[in-house]
Amino acid sequence: MEELFSSLVRDFVDETAPIAREVGGLLLKLEAVWTAGGDAKPLLRAVRGGLHTIKGNSAMMGLAPIERVAHALEDVCAQVEGRQGREQAAQLLFEGCDLLLALIQAALAGSVDGKLADAFVERARASSEAAAAPKMISVSDESSPPAEAAGSVPPVAMDSEEGRGTARIADREVDDLLELTGETIVGHTELARVHGRLARGQFEASDVALMDQLLTDLGRTTREMRHKLLRVRLAPIATLFRRFGRFLRDLARERGQAIELCIEGGDTAVDRAIISRLYEPLVHIVRNAVAHGIEPVDERVARGKPAKAQILLSARLREGRVNICVADDGRGLDLRAIAAKANAQGMDTGNLSERDLQRLIFQSGFSTALSVSNLAGRGVGLDVVASVVQGLGGSIDVRGTSGRGTVFVLDLPVTVSLQKALIFGVDSETFAAPAGFVLDTMESREKNMQAIGRVLLVSWRGDFVRAVDAGRLLGCQGLAQAWARPYAIVLQAGNKRGALLVDWFSGVQEIVVKPLDESLAGCRMIAGATVLAQGRVVPILDCVEVVRRTNVALLPETPSVAKAEASYDVF
Amino acid sequence: MSSDARPTSEGGQAENAEPLLAFADALLASTPHDPGRAAGQVQQYVTFFLRDDEIGIPILQCREIVRIGAITRVPEAPDHVRGVVNLRGRVLPAIDTRKCLGYESAPATARSRLLVVEVAGRAFALLVDRVSRILKLAPADIAAQPENAKVRSAIGVARDGNSTIIITDAERILRPGCASEVPTPRSEEA
Repeated sequence: MEELFSSLVRDFVDETAPIAREVGGLLLKLEAVWTAGGDAKPLLRAVRGGLHTIKGNSAMMGLAPIERVAHALEDVCAQVEGRQGREQAAQLLFEGCDLLLALIQAALAGSVDGKLADAFVERARASSEAAAAPKMISVSDESSPPAEAAGSVPPVAMDSEEGRGTARIADREVDDLLELTGETIVGHTELARVHGRLARGQFEASDVALMDQLLTDLGRTTREMRHKLLRVRLAPIATLFRRFGRFLRDLARERGQAIELCIEGGDTAVDRAIISRLYEPLVHIVRNAVAHGIEPVDERVARGKPAKAQILLSARLREGRVNICVADDGRGLDLRAIAAKANAQGMDTGNLSERDLQRLIFQSGFSTALSVSNLAGRGVGLDVVASVVQGLGGSIDVRGTSGRGTVFVLDLPVTVSLQKALIFGVDSETFAAPAGFVLDTMESREKNMQAIGRVLLVSWRGDFVRAVDAGRLLGCQGLAQAWARPYAIVLQAGNKRGALLVDWFSGVQEIVVKPLDESLAGCRMIAGATVLAQGRVVPILDCVEVVRRTNVALLPETPSVAKAEASYDVF
Repeated sequence: MSSDARPTSEGGQAENAEPLLAFADALLASTPHDPGRAAGQVQQYVTFFLRDDEIGIPILQCREIVRIGAITRVPEAPDHVRGVVNLRGRVLPAIDTRKCLGYESAPATARSRLLVVEVAGRAFALLVDRVSRILKLAPADIAAQPENAKVRSAIGVARDGNSTIIITDAERILRPGCASEVPTPRSEEA
């Protein structure tokens, strides 16, 4: 019984929290329309629709405090129509909406604070009495879902924002998955039947063909299943970006300055695991942009910029990865301040390029804020942001033009967990190389190999590629004459190539990527691990690092001595 | 084709206990006892053996005890990390507990086990020679380490009948390696 109830509460939270967030977004628009002086009625109606749904849902769950707050907010909406006191109403609505969200989430823990709710309801009533509405306009279409009226925001299908790990799946998708599961089970049963016959020694000539067919079918259904499940994990990045509307509004108010949020590519689908972990880093970057980048209004006007500042959040798919930009039209990075700061820390910046200088801001202990304000100087640096992004398998970069603005670019995988990889072995060890970096595989015959001094080269399509014995590079124990390995894997990372000499490789296969513990962060050539058949753990190469090292690796001074000492001349 | 193998570099060389003791003292001096632990409550400890020494860590940090399966070496892993193991799909670092506590490394035997511990949300598999028992101890039962103690980062020792148990916790076992993550020296990218 208890379990049933708690699952109902979970459903309630999963369903209602997104609506509350939705209402929050609508309020931002509403405020904008009020300021601009447009027709706010459709928006107001949408807000009321959302509130009404929240009210109904919470009444059904017997969560009276939430119901009362939603009701009070509906009243605020009703009374504000066609009248003044909008600013006060907006503030009440914003606060009430925050409170709703907090209360809804508190329902999960079973601790909805009735006092908080009552205090708010009381305040809302007091303010509406003070405003003393002469007439109340009733809105007939209260039950219309908020999204329809807003016109642009689709109903939230997935609530990834809290990182609680719940996904909402359309019935149809569940049906599809069930059907695929059914097919898999049938396939298994068939295979078991054939196996039974074989075990009894009753082999039939047609069994090979039958098993062929069964295996092909099983392969297809399991692949499809995974593909469909993977899609469930994806969510539009707008769910993340939209949270910044409110965040920026509050930041802008604090500074008494108008800042506009522009969103592009909000429908880009990204793994929910990534979305949920990106909020904090983006908050930091956006806060940084406002604190360090955007000039006060008078300075902007003096520079001939529009008084209203802009922050752009954009997402774009590129080569199987997603690029997220946070751009502002502020004063850009102050290279001189960065250099001064670096010098103060005892760093020589004389021979650093502009790009290198800019990237210094990702080092720890680097903050060039002139004054420690509420926004900046909280002790969390961009270095933390950079490490979070790296933890997700991505990278971060910054570009700025003095006086014109700053752009942060986050390059991330679309999904964190699945990758295609080439499995290869050297000595008795097995490794995986992400397929995106693998250009080619080939036999490494002696006539392909050439040593110039201590540099080993392999010829590949008329080109020479630096090569290294994978066993030596990866520190495996075993035989190692540089060209004794039968195969070479040609890797490309960025514009650099490198070849690994290996004992064997098997085809490209999909692997599930597992992160490694921080205690292994020093293993720069290894990006993670995967678990292959029979539970075998296999390290995944960080091909960028591997290619870099391949290009500085040298053959042992005199091979025979090097073998005896097992020395490493790779860096 | 040459097939002569490179000599395998055996991990543990004999270590002198003296510098370790100095190190342990410095470490203990810099890390005062956890106030929450000194609350006077009886705690349970899981004990295990390293060589002939019985060592106990709070049971609250222990998740499970598993047999040692395949340990996958990770290139350039720090000395005290033997590699990674698969625990029901989770990939955990396998910690050479002997090395962490200043003993010589030793190959696993039939009685060796992995003691899976969780510290600050991170899980580790501690390689131990064998798992012994569960002990109940009050803080008063734990005395300071005797002068001739040879275990790094111990909190103290407890006596149970004729046996002496070295008391520590997972954080302390992991601290020397995990805090200062200094892998094998090599030139770094500028």
